[in-house]
Amino acid sequence: MSSYMAAVWHCRYFWWSLVKMDLRTRYRRSIIGLGWSLLHPIAMTTILCFVFSNLFNATVAEYGPYLLAGLVTWNYVSGVTIQGCQCFFQGEAYIRQHPAPLAVYPLRTALGGTIHFLIALVVVLALTWYFRGFANLPSLWCLVPAITLLFVLGWSLAVLAGFANVLFQDTQHLSEIGFQILFYATPIMYMSSLLEGRGMDWLVQYNPVVSLLQLIREPILYGRVPTVQTYGTAILIVFLVASAAAATLARLQRRLIFHL
Amino acid sequence: MASIELDKASLTFRVRPAGRITLKEFLIRQVRRSGTPLIKVRALQEVSLSFQEGQRVGIIGPNGAGKSTLLKLLAGIYPPTRGRRHVDGRISSLFDIALGFEGDASGWENISYRGYLQGETPRSMRDKIKPIAEFSELGEFLNMPVRYYSAGMMVRLAFSIATAIEPEILLVDEVLSVGDMAFQEKARKRMREMMAKAQLIVAVSHDLHSLTKLCDRGVWLDHGRVRLVGPMSEVISAYTDSVKSGQVQAA
Repeated sequence: MSSYMAAVWHCRYFWWSLVKMDLRTRYRRSIIGLGWSLLHPIAMTTILCFVFSNLFNATVAEYGPYLLAGLVTWNYVSGVTIQGCQCFFQGEAYIRQHPAPLAVYPLRTALGGTIHFLIALVVVLALTWYFRGFANLPSLWCLVPAITLLFVLGWSLAVLAGFANVLFQDTQHLSEIGFQILFYATPIMYMSSLLEGRGMDWLVQYNPVVSLLQLIREPILYGRVPTVQTYGTAILIVFLVASAAAATLARLQRRLIFHL
Repeated sequence: MASIELDKASLTFRVRPAGRITLKEFLIRQVRRSGTPLIKVRALQEVSLSFQEGQRVGIIGPNGAGKSTLLKLLAGIYPPTRGRRHVDGRISSLFDIALGFEGDASGWENISYRGYLQGETPRSMRDKIKPIAEFSELGEFLNMPVRYYSAGMMVRLAFSIATAIEPEILLVDEVLSVGDMAFQEKARKRMREMMAKAQLIVAVSHDLHSLTKLCDRGVWLDHGRVRLVGPMSEVISAYTDSVKSGQVQAA
């Protein structure tokens, strides 16, 4: 395991330069390009704010940052998985030429996603600051472990999605459907309090994504340090997904080339 | 000490007749228990070879004998499905080199990506990037995204990058026909220089004439098996004799 990570680190210049290239292509070397790529969550937030703040009787100051923080985190997790489906095909030519550790290709996807997520988080912070200010500035330090956990999760998800998609070519299609369903089952657009007392608490209680959202939302929106329970659940989820990814790599690393 | 050792290494591809499948098809097959059997291709069978530092090895054989597969097995791209592979030394391989450029990135950027993949660092690349650019003779085109390159330009760039490093073990798969005539002459010269520097070379080619000049040891592969190992000239004459007698029989 540690020697594998050392091998990944050994070719850091390779994957890092590919990540930089991906970001450059994404943002087209300009601030406008950067804004363009953030257009989706911002446009969604604007329109949903307009519609739902009336429906839920919430003010824009309350609802807007809540929604954007949720959307941005959600887009990261779903985006890394769906893009992760292509990671080995994207790197196929390199894989056919050089026996570099395969984890570097999902890492490329995950790192690109994480950097984009960080940029989007800055927008969330700015919006929150504008609308309601920060109740407790030091609590923002909690974002550091949260982002680390999300990064490990994203890398692992990309590994799993990448392998699954090489073996079964409809993986991307299926995960898009899965994420669509999960999106509505997750309190992103609505407050989780909306489900309570309606016999739907279980939807939030057993939803693995909720604890991840709380890691981001709690410190930014309410100035609170997430509870031990939230951390525990999030760490458990990330650990399980990462173990699955490590097991998949150990089992299929050498065989992937036969399926490409 | 550069060395390569294969101990009864076999490589069997299991090929699906219809290429990749979907999860849907997979589940249906599991339920019906009616999978189409995988086609087995025995690309290499119990290949035992041992090469030491200083040797120049040429691999010959008819199409589909497993020559390129053997090279990829040596490079570590394919793992042996049976047997053992042991390699000491830094490997550089010259095959499929024209594949895998990042289309949106410029020629310069692609030089770095390839270099880093081959184990270079930003510091070591600083000295190499200029000679690579000069050797490719692409000049101003290097500022352009690679997607606008012609096939010949891509091969030039790929060859220049791949041959810029000093490998201990060099694996070559018929790349000598790169670019236009002037560049081919240059490429041949570069190959000779590289071969002179490398400690161990394994080359695959159908050009028996140049193999005789380049290599001292020969391996004759046929249907994934080693037919003969020995001095290059002997292996080549045995191979050509068999091809000729085959033609006589066919006639």
